Amino acid sequence: MDAPLKRWLCLGCGFSYDESLGLPEHGLAPGTRWADIPDDWVCPDCGTPKNQFEMVEMGYAEAGVDQARIA
Amino acid sequence: MPKSFVLRAGERGHDVIYSDGSASSYVAGHPGSHITRESSFNFHQYQGGRPGFGTVRVFGDEVFSGAGCGYNMHPHHNFIICAFVLEGELTHINTAGQGMVDQLRQGDYYVFSAGSGGKHCELSISPENMNAIYLWLMPGQLFLPPSYHRAHFDIRTRRNRIAQLVGDADGALPVSQDLRVSRLVTDRAGGFTYTPRTPEHGVYVFVAEGSATVNEVALGRRDSLGISGVETLAIEAADSSDIFFVETAMLDDARIRAWEKAHGADLLD
Ligand SMILES: [Zn+2]
Repeated sequence: MDAPLKRWLCLGCGFSYDESLGLPEHGLAPGTRWADIPDDWVCPDCGTPKNQFEMVEMGYAEAGVDQARIA
Repeated sequence: MPKSFVLRAGERGHDVIYSDGSASSYVAGHPGSHITRESSFNFHQYQGGRPGFGTVRVFGDEVFSGAGCGYNMHPHHNFIICAFVLEGELTHINTAGQGMVDQLRQGDYYVFSAGSGGKHCELSISPENMNAIYLWLMPGQLFLPPSYHRAHFDIRTRRNRIAQLVGDADGALPVSQDLRVSRLVTDRAGGFTYTPRTPEHGVYVFVAEGSATVNEVALGRRDSLGISGVETLAIEAADSSDIFFVETAMLDDARIRAWEKAHGADLLD
């Protein structure tokens, strides 16, 4: 069985990467696993390196997931 | 089981970021202006210490030096960012809600929940130094509606008792996290007791001024203690002390657990 899709938070600014949403405008299709993102990838908002993101088990606030799609 | 660590003032991460050169788009101010940042936990360039404590990811003791010094407008999401001004004046431009320009002086503090996205700019406009404590907290949920609240801690009328600034007490600023920030300012030596919500909560005690003994650990100016698994904290504070208490739920955080395991028992009593 596939591992559940996860969410990651940038420790430099709070930007969140959601594997289920990807970042289509940055070339990461929905469903792209964190492990499959190159190691030299940086936060699109603040430039923090990939290894300074933290995996978070956190849900979205009401309406948050729709805003995350367009963030 | 009680667990604790002591972090001396000089053991914190130390970064100086200048307004000219490579960081000029990040840091505002006249040439030579600079931000001095003492980090209790890993943050940006400093990655040599603890990754955090409970919900706390950043505890920064920052000084903005030089006219116009500070952080240019920059974006945030999700983090709950608090600032407590110790000296000088902080001009804060924030887009949360309708947006505002706020000016904070000694005793003033804010809670900015970046949630679904916000931008802010923080400046010390005058040539006088500005010193603030910055606290970044993990939120309870992603993409909360952004919010900004501010308040004043009156050092003259709230002396010699532990007063809650952020949390669920009357008059405290609300926060969407299992967290409380309290402050004790003394003008005479005295004994105090701090009781966390449960023994499972952790308390990060930071001595901004003066000195104190906390559960028999002696702390000087800008020293700190993180402790969890205790019913109460017994504090013997010296005259003219200023002490912060950050009480937080202790998350089962893989990053922090891995760091503690790698660093063994020497930093955990
Ligand atoms: Zn970032």
